[in-house]
Amino acid sequence: MDKELEHSFVEQLQKHQNIVHKVCRLYTNNQDAHNDLFQEITIQLWRAYPKFRGDSKFSTWMYRVGLNTAITLYRKSKRSIKTSDFDAYQFKIKAEEYDSTEEEQLKLLYQAVHQLNDIEKALVLLYLEDKDYREISETLGITEVNARVKMNRVKKKLKAILNP
Amino acid sequence: MDELELLKKDWQSNRTGYPKLSYDEIYKMSHAKSSSIVKWIFYISLIEFAIGLILVLLNPKIEGQIEFPRWVEIMSYATFPVIGVFIYFFYKNYKNITATDNIRKLIKSILKTRRTVKYYVLFNLVMAGIFSCVGLYIGYVTSEGGVEQFSANAHFAEYATLGVVIVIVTAGIVALFYGIYYLLYGILLKRLNRNYKELKKLEV
Repeated sequence: MDKELEHSFVEQLQKHQNIVHKVCRLYTNNQDAHNDLFQEITIQLWRAYPKFRGDSKFSTWMYRVGLNTAITLYRKSKRSIKTSDFDAYQFKIKAEEYDSTEEEQLKLLYQAVHQLNDIEKALVLLYLEDKDYREISETLGITEVNARVKMNRVKKKLKAILNP
Repeated sequence: MDELELLKKDWQSNRTGYPKLSYDEIYKMSHAKSSSIVKWIFYISLIEFAIGLILVLLNPKIEGQIEFPRWVEIMSYATFPVIGVFIYFFYKNYKNITATDNIRKLIKSILKTRRTVKYYVLFNLVMAGIFSCVGLYIGYVTSEGGVEQFSANAHFAEYATLGVVIVIVTAGIVALFYGIYYLLYGILLKRLNRNYKELKKLEV
């Protein structure tokens, strides 16, 4: 494939790499698995890139390929199965923004999200990214009405996990 | 504050220090080897097709030793175009798998590719069953001095024993292969099937 295409791909991915990190954060439980999934998403993005027409934003397209890889294409390696690693798998938080109560609540929230199934995680991710229901429904391949219904169920499920 | 709103605020803030990968690191990663489930299915399928072909190609040799009836011989050659059709459909389905589809469509394409392979495996199991039955029958009859002598001397007990042996051995061979496939694809596709069911449930 030509060098120009390769260059523009790597540059764009480098700029938007946080999207891939965010997908990995939801779908993996430890740093090794995070890195594995990041690599697989990068491979899939690069393979699909020649067909990227630019009719959607690069970031929107990245969500789709990223979620597809995490949910369907990625084979979990043995090392990613261990859920006990979750607590140790924390990214650095800037010290000045540290608030212990809020931090504890967030930790519980992230743990709750990790207990959801793959499809529910996808809904949460798109919701957290402020995607509208049209985009959520298109990404998952379900109707808008069903996306809304499912999102409400996920919210209830999260509340139930947090307040047993 | 609503819990999800708190989560959203944190999610969208840039305070989480994700690693920043360099241009070279991303470049290297994009050229690394994929270990996607599709690739695994593709490799396993290639092995299955190869085994199927080898079995068919080996037949003439077996025929030289045992001498199969004419209809079995014709059937063994007729499997070639059937395998060709299977390979065509498998390749067509495989090409349809694209990471830019929506999740539901992508899972559907993968499962469709898998289904083609499943039918191929079934076809192979049926063929293996037929060849095993015929081979065992001919082998046994030959060891008893040929069809005419066997028919002249055999009583109900001999026929029944032969029948039971054929059924048990054939069932054993077929069950063994089926078990291997079931385990292999069962493990490989467990997550995919679960996610597809979850999406289908939403459509009800």
